[in-house]
Amino acid sequence: MTDKDKLAKYRTEIQQMMFVSGETGDPSPETTTLIESIVQDQVQFMLRECTVLATRRGSKSISTDDLFMLIRHDRAKISRLRHFLQWKDVRRSVKDSDDKDAGAGGDVGEAGVDVAGAGPVQGGGGGVDAGKKAKRAKVDLVWDVQSFFAEIPPFTDDVEDEEEEEMNFATLQRLKNADERTKHMTREEYVHWSDCRQASFTYRKGKRFKEWAGFGLITDSKPSDDIIDILGFLTFEIVQTLTEEALKVKAAEDISKKAGGMDKSRLKRKRERGLFDPPEEAREPVQPGHVQEAYRRLQRGNNKSRAMLNFTKNIHRAALKLI
Amino acid sequence: MSRAAHRPSSTERPHYARLPPQSSNAIRLRTPNAALSDEAMSNGSNHNTLGEGVDTVAEEDPRAARWREQYLRTEARLAAVLGGAHTERAADGEDDGTKLPADVAPAAHDARPTATPKKPTRTIDEDDYGDDDDDAEEDDTNTSPLFSKSAPNGIVAGTLDPPSLRMPSLSNKLAIDRTSTPGSEPAKSSDDVRKQLQQDKKAAEDAAKRSFHTMFYTLESDRDAMLEQQKLDELDRQVETEMSGQLASAPAAGVPAAPQQGTLSTTNLGASSLTLKHLIARIDAQRDRVHASDAQLRSLISEVRKNRSKWANEDRVGQEELYESVEKVLMELKACEHAHPFLQRVNKREAPDYYNIIKQPMDIGTMMKKLKQLVYKSKKDFVDDLMLIWANCLKYNSDPAHPLRKKALYMRKETEKLVPLIPDITVRDRAEVEAEERRMRNGDADADGAEDSEDEEPIMASRGRKAPSKGGKGSSTARKAPPAGLEGTPGPESKPSIPTLNNVVSNLKNEFLRADSEMEGSVNGFSTPPPPGTLTPLGPNGALRAGGSQADVSEADGTVASVSGFTLEEDADLDDLEFKTWKQVTKKDRATIAAERHRLFRDDQLQVDEPAILRTKAGMRRWLRHKKQASEEETAGGPVSSLDGKDGVQGTAGESLAEGIEGEEERQIPDYYDPVCAIPDLNERLQWVEDSEGHVIQQFEEYMRIVPKGQFIAPDSLLAKKMGSNMRQMQETRKICSKIGIVKQMQLQSQMYTNQFQKYDPQPFLEMDIEPMVVSEEGPVIAPYVCRAALQRSVGEIFYHAGFEEFQPSALDAITDVAGDFFQKLVATLGMYRETPKMRSEVPVTVPSGTTTNWIPRFTQEEAILHSLQVNGVELESLETYVKEDVERLSTKLAGMHERMRSYYAELLRPALDGSAGADGAGAFNDGSEQFVGGDFAEDIGEDFFGFKELGLDKEFGVTFSVPLHLLQNRMRNAHIGKTDNVTTTGVLMDEPPKFEPVTRQNLGSQIGLMQKWFLAKLDNTGSEMLVEDEDLPPKQRFPKPRLPPTGKISSPRKRPLREQQQMARKKRKLDEEREDNGSNDNGANGNVIKGIGKPIGKLKLEMPTQKENQSVPEPEKDDGSAVGMISPESILAA
Repeated sequence: MTDKDKLAKYRTEIQQMMFVSGETGDPSPETTTLIESIVQDQVQFMLRECTVLATRRGSKSISTDDLFMLIRHDRAKISRLRHFLQWKDVRRSVKDSDDKDAGAGGDVGEAGVDVAGAGPVQGGGGGVDAGKKAKRAKVDLVWDVQSFFAEIPPFTDDVEDEEEEEMNFATLQRLKNADERTKHMTREEYVHWSDCRQASFTYRKGKRFKEWAGFGLITDSKPSDDIIDILGFLTFEIVQTLTEEALKVKAAEDISKKAGGMDKSRLKRKRERGLFDPPEEAREPVQPGHVQEAYRRLQRGNNKSRAMLNFTKNIHRAALKLI
Repeated sequence: MSRAAHRPSSTERPHYARLPPQSSNAIRLRTPNAALSDEAMSNGSNHNTLGEGVDTVAEEDPRAARWREQYLRTEARLAAVLGGAHTERAADGEDDGTKLPADVAPAAHDARPTATPKKPTRTIDEDDYGDDDDDAEEDDTNTSPLFSKSAPNGIVAGTLDPPSLRMPSLSNKLAIDRTSTPGSEPAKSSDDVRKQLQQDKKAAEDAAKRSFHTMFYTLESDRDAMLEQQKLDELDRQVETEMSGQLASAPAAGVPAAPQQGTLSTTNLGASSLTLKHLIARIDAQRDRVHASDAQLRSLISEVRKNRSKWANEDRVGQEELYESVEKVLMELKACEHAHPFLQRVNKREAPDYYNIIKQPMDIGTMMKKLKQLVYKSKKDFVDDLMLIWANCLKYNSDPAHPLRKKALYMRKETEKLVPLIPDITVRDRAEVEAEERRMRNGDADADGAEDSEDEEPIMASRGRKAPSKGGKGSSTARKAPPAGLEGTPGPESKPSIPTLNNVVSNLKNEFLRADSEMEGSVNGFSTPPPPGTLTPLGPNGALRAGGSQADVSEADGTVASVSGFTLEEDADLDDLEFKTWKQVTKKDRATIAAERHRLFRDDQLQVDEPAILRTKAGMRRWLRHKKQASEEETAGGPVSSLDGKDGVQGTAGESLAEGIEGEEERQIPDYYDPVCAIPDLNERLQWVEDSEGHVIQQFEEYMRIVPKGQFIAPDSLLAKKMGSNMRQMQETRKICSKIGIVKQMQLQSQMYTNQFQKYDPQPFLEMDIEPMVVSEEGPVIAPYVCRAALQRSVGEIFYHAGFEEFQPSALDAITDVAGDFFQKLVATLGMYRETPKMRSEVPVTVPSGTTTNWIPRFTQEEAILHSLQVNGVELESLETYVKEDVERLSTKLAGMHERMRSYYAELLRPALDGSAGADGAGAFNDGSEQFVGGDFAEDIGEDFFGFKELGLDKEFGVTFSVPLHLLQNRMRNAHIGKTDNVTTTGVLMDEPPKFEPVTRQNLGSQIGLMQKWFLAKLDNTGSEMLVEDEDLPPKQRFPKPRLPPTGKISSPRKRPLREQQQMARKKRKLDEEREDNGSNDNGANGNVIKGIGKPIGKLKLEMPTQKENQSVPEPEKDDGSAVGMISPESILAA
């Protein structure tokens, strides 16, 4: 029982995430367990690395910058993460302002300051007005131009960050896919879909997540909200990437099965195909094997990590790659 | 002895050599004689010549008496000669020469036949050079054997490998003999064979030698060569030791026969008889006057003369020639690569049944022993033994596939090739020969003038040829020689054809002779007849040779056919012929060299005690010579010799300082076997070259060059430009940053000092190139530390570009090393891709040099670069992204940041401008005691408002505009405090109270009456100006703000303003000196002080005089009317 608990804490969430990511079937517990362990591994790895980075900075606790640092090479992901954080900030300030409206003038600056903990959020000290809602907080990266200079000028509106405008191709593609899928959904289906989209490892499960990810063991036990949020986002990304890759693997396998004379199965299929056959949508879900293959593909190293070992006799030991 | 004795004779020689001119007739006679005697000997069919020959022989007899008569005297003279009494002898010789001119000819004639086969050559040479060349001729022949070995007449290029060493020289002589002496032609069809073989051999050797610098043979066969050579040496030693015991008795066996007087010239004096021929001729001529037996003379002469071989023996006629050649053949065979198994007796352990099958064992070692023991009597004996070896082998190893068979067959083939080289001589005892001679001579008297060949017999005998009379075969005996050479094989089938051939030959010969003699006659008057070689018409000669070789071929064919049925299918030739020859030629030297090296590395260790292989002068000379030879061969092929361009260079190159310094040891070995002696090429430009006037040509101008600029700076690319502008942008922004920092500091600090801030004034980036440098070589300049520094600089720029304003040197070093490492790998990869073997293409490609080829590189340049980038993990996208994101995007970002900074800065400065200032800010300067000096303040605000006057003070102060720091600072700080107060207190709760109106005489009345008097006094002091509030005083005059403790009671007296304190301290010191004056001042001072209050202070602090001094300054104590508790502390104190 305990063992099972440990292994499968996020079965539903993972199923939902996979559904959002394109898996239409009902993945088996083995699959979700495998995915979960992969995600756990990745999260723990990230936390370890962050701790190392923080130590190098001379800090005891990890910060969001460390997390950013870990995924710095994945520009698309960085962009998505910033996007996420900005909107999160917007959401929160809107909520705060709503609260304030309701609760008769709380402290205006609080929410803004809270958010600013992640990075220097220059929002002019908390969005009070509705006009502020549209303006998203700016999440700065440590290596951005701002860090070049000793002084930080206040953010001015006229300097528009064009990075925001250029959407990442992969993100756009995902959105498009989601759009396609939701186009013909009924209301109930869409509700289900949007429920699934909200699935998160961390949302309202902070304690469980901390336990699961090994906070307190790997790093300090009191991470900031932002770190948890970022990790929640990243875990979703991991599941999504894995699922997409696994689906690709499966599709390729299906094609080769069809082409490569899998006589028995074809016969069976032919026999089974009939009027009351389940629709194409309900095809069989991704198997653990597909996930493993997807994971292998995603872990495949590139030449860059090996480059400095050329002409030496050293063996390349690939570090774990973040998905 | 021989050498010492020889010297005088060689110096003496000229005297005799000068004889022939006087008797030119005799000399001229000699040529026909020589030719004829050969002719006669060989076929004995020529009347004319024979008659002459007989004449001379006949003439000889009566003279013998005179010889005997004068024997004693001559002997004495000889002794005198040897003792060094030259003049007498010379005179006597001349005397004799003039007296007996005719005698010389017969003497020469007789002397010659006694010589070895080399003999005719010498004779001819003599004729060639004529009389006046005799000196040189004699010198030539008299020089050391070493010399003659190294350069035998310049024709043989020196194949001086001991086993094969003498062969070429021998063949050379034979060749000369052959081509120049028509008379010897028919006699020597065996010589034809020999010569043919020699030529082939020599050609092969030459080819091998020529390949020395064109072909590289690997060294793996050296070890075998070394081992074989060791074995051979071993064998030699063995034979030597075995022989040494027997040798003692051997000479005894060959005891000379009874002394008998004959012509001295008939004695076998070997090769040296040539050099002594004049002497011999003289002695022969006056034999009767010489009182010595023939034997005595012979021994005397044989002691005197040089270069007799070890085989020479007075008493064994023909032995020298036979054994010389036999030994050579044996050596040759021994040196064969396949000779190995036949070198030693078959061991019974190895082949137990060998001696059952082979009854007559034989091996080369045994043959050498037999040779040394002088067992062989004739060529046949020797050849029989040789053939026996091979036959034994073939017999024992009957299996056709046996490897030894092949070797045996090969060896037999070799033998067959070599055997014809051995002259067909039967060694005979001198006694026997002489007896025969005598008999002959007697017979001659009867058969004088007869055409019979018998009359030639003495000559034949003395020449060591197989006596025709013995064989009894008449004229065909000579023809027998070649078949005899192949004794082991039945070869008589060639007999029928040869006589006819011979006839033809002899006919031709006769014509020749006639032509020759006619020529001879026509040039009678000339002292030097042209060399016979030119006299000889080439055509007939060639025809003759062709005939000879034809015979040879037919014979060879016959033998091959007859020898063995399986020769054809069992060909011993495994290797390529050229390689085989090469191996053969170089074997000994290779072995020596390999052995030398082996000694150094014996037991797989470096043997430190062994002598090192050193460079020798001789080796270097040889190397130079070979190089020259090779280059000559090359240039001979080419139309133009490129070396001619620089005169002087060529000349010095050929010479060698070491010429003739060291003894030459000739080696048949390619130069790469002797690498220590190689001389590296001297750079042409470094050579000392003189022009025609003897001035040294300065060559450096042609090759010195200045390193082109820009090799160590970044190329002027678009990317570099962009990065440069980015960096400049950053610098600008940083300038503003530092200004902002200063302004911020101003806001926080109450006081500023002029040197508080370091001026931020970055220098523009400038890449320094290396200083002008002169180099003497082509190609890039590679100085590792300079290159590294350049790379480091680039890395530093990238650092800066990435936003690091400063960085630690260690970080820079680390990144530089990593980058260097990476680039090395990148380039190495690129090299590998570039050097992949070319591949074949269907379409011929034209290379830049103009030739077309089907071979194209495996990768194009672009492919190679892309591949190596890929392998090293550099993706093109990432490069592109870098340029796009990190350079181009960065520049826009930086520009945006700069704008933000500027506006922020302007924002910060604004407080200093607004407030009481007008719209243009001019009002800001109206207040206070100090003013801005010049310049339009507002205009400069954005960019260079401060221009950092406070940093670059002196220059700016008087010139344009200067902002007094404290003034600005005041405004900044006040504004900032005001602003921050505003911020912190969240809104202004109360308006600031209006300022107190300054007290003037006009409004004095509105003040409290109690105070009016005091104010009035102050106003009087200041000269009716308005009184300044304490707050508005300049900082130094301002009073510190009083601190009120929690008790609410002021416990300490009020502090005085800064300036006052300083003054007080100074005054205090003065006070101590002027204490006596105190009293006088007291009164005046007390008048000013408020009653009751100032006094205790004055007493307490002894500051009465200072108070008087401070009168000019508005009294702070009184001024502070508003502060209620201010006075109380002092009253408390007073109380």
